[in-house]
Amino acid sequence: MHMKQRLIAVLAATSLVLTACGDDAGSGSDGKIAGDITVLTQRTDLVDTVLPEYKKKFEAKYPGTNVKFEAITDYEGEVRVRMNTKNYGDVLPIPNSVTADQLPSFFEPLGTVDELKDKYRFVRSEQTFGGKVYGLAITGNAQGYVFNKKVWTAAGITTPPTTPEEFLSALKAIKDKTGVVPLYTNYKDGWPLGQWEGVRGAVSGDPEAVTKLAKDDAPWSPGKEQYIIDSLLFDAVKGGYTEADPTTTNWEQSKGMLGTGKIATMVLGSWSVVQMQAAATSKDDIGYWPFPNQVNGKFHTVVGGDYKNGINVNSKNKATARAWVDWFADESNYAIDQGGVSVVTSAQLPASLADLQAAKTEFIEINPAPKGEEGLADKIGNTAEIALFDGKYRQRLVDAARGAKKETKEQIFADLNKKWADTRAKLK
Amino acid sequence: MIARVLKYLSLTGASLVVLLPPVVLVLASLKTNNEYLNSGPFDPPGDWLNFDNYVTAFTKGHMLRGFINTSVIMAVSLTGTVLIGSMAAYAIDRFRFRLRKLVVALFMLATLVPGVTTQVATFKVVDALDLYDSRWSAIALFLGTDIISIYIFRQFLRGVPRELDEAAAMEGAGPFGIFWRIILPLLKPAIATVVIIKGIAMYNEFYIPFLYMPSQELGVISTSLYRFKGPFGAQWEVISAGVILVIIPTLIAFLALQRFIYNGFTAGAGK
Amino acid sequence: MAIDTKPASELRRAGRPARPHNVARTLTPYLFLAAPLAFLIVFTYIPVVNMFGYSVTSWDGLSPSREFVGLDNYVEIATRPELFGVLKVSLYYIGASVVQIGLALYFATILSFNTRFRNLFKGVLFFPYLINGVAIGMIFLFFFQPGGTLDSAMSALGLGGATQQWLGDPSVVNWSLAGTSIWRYLGLNFVLFLGAIQSIPAHLYEAAEIDGASRWDQFRHIILPGIRPIVGLSFILAISGSLSVFEIPFIMTGGANDSETFVIQTVNMAFKYYKLGLASAMAVVLLLIILLVTWLQRRVAPDEKVDLS
Repeated sequence: MHMKQRLIAVLAATSLVLTACGDDAGSGSDGKIAGDITVLTQRTDLVDTVLPEYKKKFEAKYPGTNVKFEAITDYEGEVRVRMNTKNYGDVLPIPNSVTADQLPSFFEPLGTVDELKDKYRFVRSEQTFGGKVYGLAITGNAQGYVFNKKVWTAAGITTPPTTPEEFLSALKAIKDKTGVVPLYTNYKDGWPLGQWEGVRGAVSGDPEAVTKLAKDDAPWSPGKEQYIIDSLLFDAVKGGYTEADPTTTNWEQSKGMLGTGKIATMVLGSWSVVQMQAAATSKDDIGYWPFPNQVNGKFHTVVGGDYKNGINVNSKNKATARAWVDWFADESNYAIDQGGVSVVTSAQLPASLADLQAAKTEFIEINPAPKGEEGLADKIGNTAEIALFDGKYRQRLVDAARGAKKETKEQIFADLNKKWADTRAKLK
Repeated sequence: MIARVLKYLSLTGASLVVLLPPVVLVLASLKTNNEYLNSGPFDPPGDWLNFDNYVTAFTKGHMLRGFINTSVIMAVSLTGTVLIGSMAAYAIDRFRFRLRKLVVALFMLATLVPGVTTQVATFKVVDALDLYDSRWSAIALFLGTDIISIYIFRQFLRGVPRELDEAAAMEGAGPFGIFWRIILPLLKPAIATVVIIKGIAMYNEFYIPFLYMPSQELGVISTSLYRFKGPFGAQWEVISAGVILVIIPTLIAFLALQRFIYNGFTAGAGK
Repeated sequence: MAIDTKPASELRRAGRPARPHNVARTLTPYLFLAAPLAFLIVFTYIPVVNMFGYSVTSWDGLSPSREFVGLDNYVEIATRPELFGVLKVSLYYIGASVVQIGLALYFATILSFNTRFRNLFKGVLFFPYLINGVAIGMIFLFFFQPGGTLDSAMSALGLGGATQQWLGDPSVVNWSLAGTSIWRYLGLNFVLFLGAIQSIPAHLYEAAEIDGASRWDQFRHIILPGIRPIVGLSFILAISGSLSVFEIPFIMTGGANDSETFVIQTVNMAFKYYKLGLASAMAVVLLLIILLVTWLQRRVAPDEKVDLS
């Protein structure tokens, strides 16, 4: 199951905050809803199961259409290479690496923000450029951590920790009382470490967090979001609360281990809840809590769109492609089936978020960045070779924390701050 | 005497080291999930004839499709490689022409280019030729990027006396007649070598089909195994079966063609 | 057509052929080379030339436009020594190649003499070379994981205390990966050496034995000189191979935990940080380094030719 791309998507999506100028490329639908379309998907696990069902329903609604799927294993990498040609399907999840200003060159606009914002979630700022929307989210996610309730309860913790310190002592209690691995990093696969970036905004409770990050010269300084997030990871590893050998972790296996109580916690988007439940002895064992930090006595949770379905600007069958995008958002029920937040505003929050609601967290969406600064924070991250969502720089933190690299947390943070500031200066 | 003991000891030791990693997978592949989770790597399976994992791997991993695609691609590419390689070698070895040095250098340099690093540019070329997502992409890249066959043919041609072609020319055969009727038949041992060396490389190739043939229906052995690993990542006993399934054809080919394979590699490296 | 069955002596008597069609004769080699060269140029050289082209831009690998930056990328590489830091990882693989060639020589030598189960041993040592790389990655993940094959084997041998995090400990991981590389490639060297040894005329050994030479003497004075070219070739290939190691570490660790090689770093630069221009320049530099190494080896050991000309 290749969740990696999906996850990164969620996160990067929340951060790709875009508005600004630009001109549109081509008109929308032209022609009849009929004929063949090719739909790319990152869900290699669903291509033989759920997606053929969708195909059947869609083709029944629109006779004369024929949907073909291409499931792609290394979605981000492969599609990016393919987008150098015209040959990247008719409908595809927009890769996260496509920056806002590149959207019009590759994707068909679906309408303006004003037209779509009442009907759909996540169109206000994500995959949007020049007031036009280029993709509809396949589902939406909240960002916090998934945990095994049985294990946490056995360790005596029944309410969500409100500070990083409380979280760490909860992990300690789990380790001491149950002997279970308190927190699993999934280091080897890399992307799960990138999931930690998803909670930015939630730590400070500030919808402007990402815009501010792009303006900061030292994000890894005490009190700031990156510092708090990465310190928590570092301290958890240093405290010995994570798996003994992080380099041989196995994502598929880890789901079963969390489900059956051999792992207590993982920091992942809410999309993970359904998958953990599927691997669990009982669905009720799986809980989902907000990041352990409160502002004015309140938790905050960022909600953002997952991958967005977009239409290839070179598609020969845009009418049918558009019909698929709309059908997928409105009728497929994908978001609900996957335990996510539906892109349709009128739909209710899924049961997987019940724990978050019980914790009285405040749901926030990241605000669009000011014109000319769309996606700037992530651009700085890539240019500085930090790549916030990739997990690679957090592997370095884990290595240092477990003693495999001779660096202190302060040294790493100082290095990250320097790279960040230098790159900011260069990009100006 | 001690020398003899040491010799056999070292051979047995080395064989153990070589065999241990794959044999453990054979054991794992015969276990049920429960058995696998509750036993050590060296514990024998409860039922030596439990082939359930193999059935799962074969069907869910679309191995049959992979074997067919691999065979088709190999058949076409090998034919092409033999023709292209022998033609190039013939031209380089039997003719003196102005650009000869340059051509030789071009073929030689090509072996040193690390392929991963040029993938974006290669991709554009493949797409421009409209080969993307078809078996022809792999076939064309096999023919255009790995030119070891030219070395092998060249090596062998050096040992074929020129007098043979010259005599044929005397009898009125043109260069194409000479190539087709004299050189190619004489190259048979070299052809066997090329087929073996390139055949193994093609069977095992992962990157090219992975990048250029994303459709599920075009999965080859390597990509089928790789894609299969994802959904079954938690079930090592099933993955093990998949790995063994991929190795079995290689093993059969090896046992059947042992002598040719050794000779092939030895000849391929030149002397 | 029975021409090819005539004895060579008879053919030779026919003498040198006249060459009436000089123009045709000039064109012929090009006709034969047309198809091979077309494939080579289209699928190897156009991409390489494009790579040079990208290396002087700041292209991100996707934008329709790319900005020309001259030699900036090369300057950046030259002024960032840490980019070459990963080359020290290659030292492990070079070290492994030496061990590998040594082992291959040893086994090739002892198996070239009379040995029981000779074919079995030969087959066992060689077979790993034929195994699919994806399969090898999986086999060795299983082998090195905690409680996996290696740990269990060591416990069984009473070495349980010496087990390690084979991929987790940064001082061990590169040895583990290089060891995997030996496991995979030993067979090829071994078979090449064995073939070369067997092509040494038997009468040389007989003469040596009459002179009372020991096995070691035979190895030093007959075998080693006889197979020097192939050993030299193996070293050249080992060094350029060690500089561009990719597959084994990429599948097994993804380059994490200090196991990153130059090629993995280049791929990351292109597809994680979207600096395709810089990555292309790095690929060009690697290519130049490999060319330099090959050239140096030629200079040092000119008799061990590898090329076609």
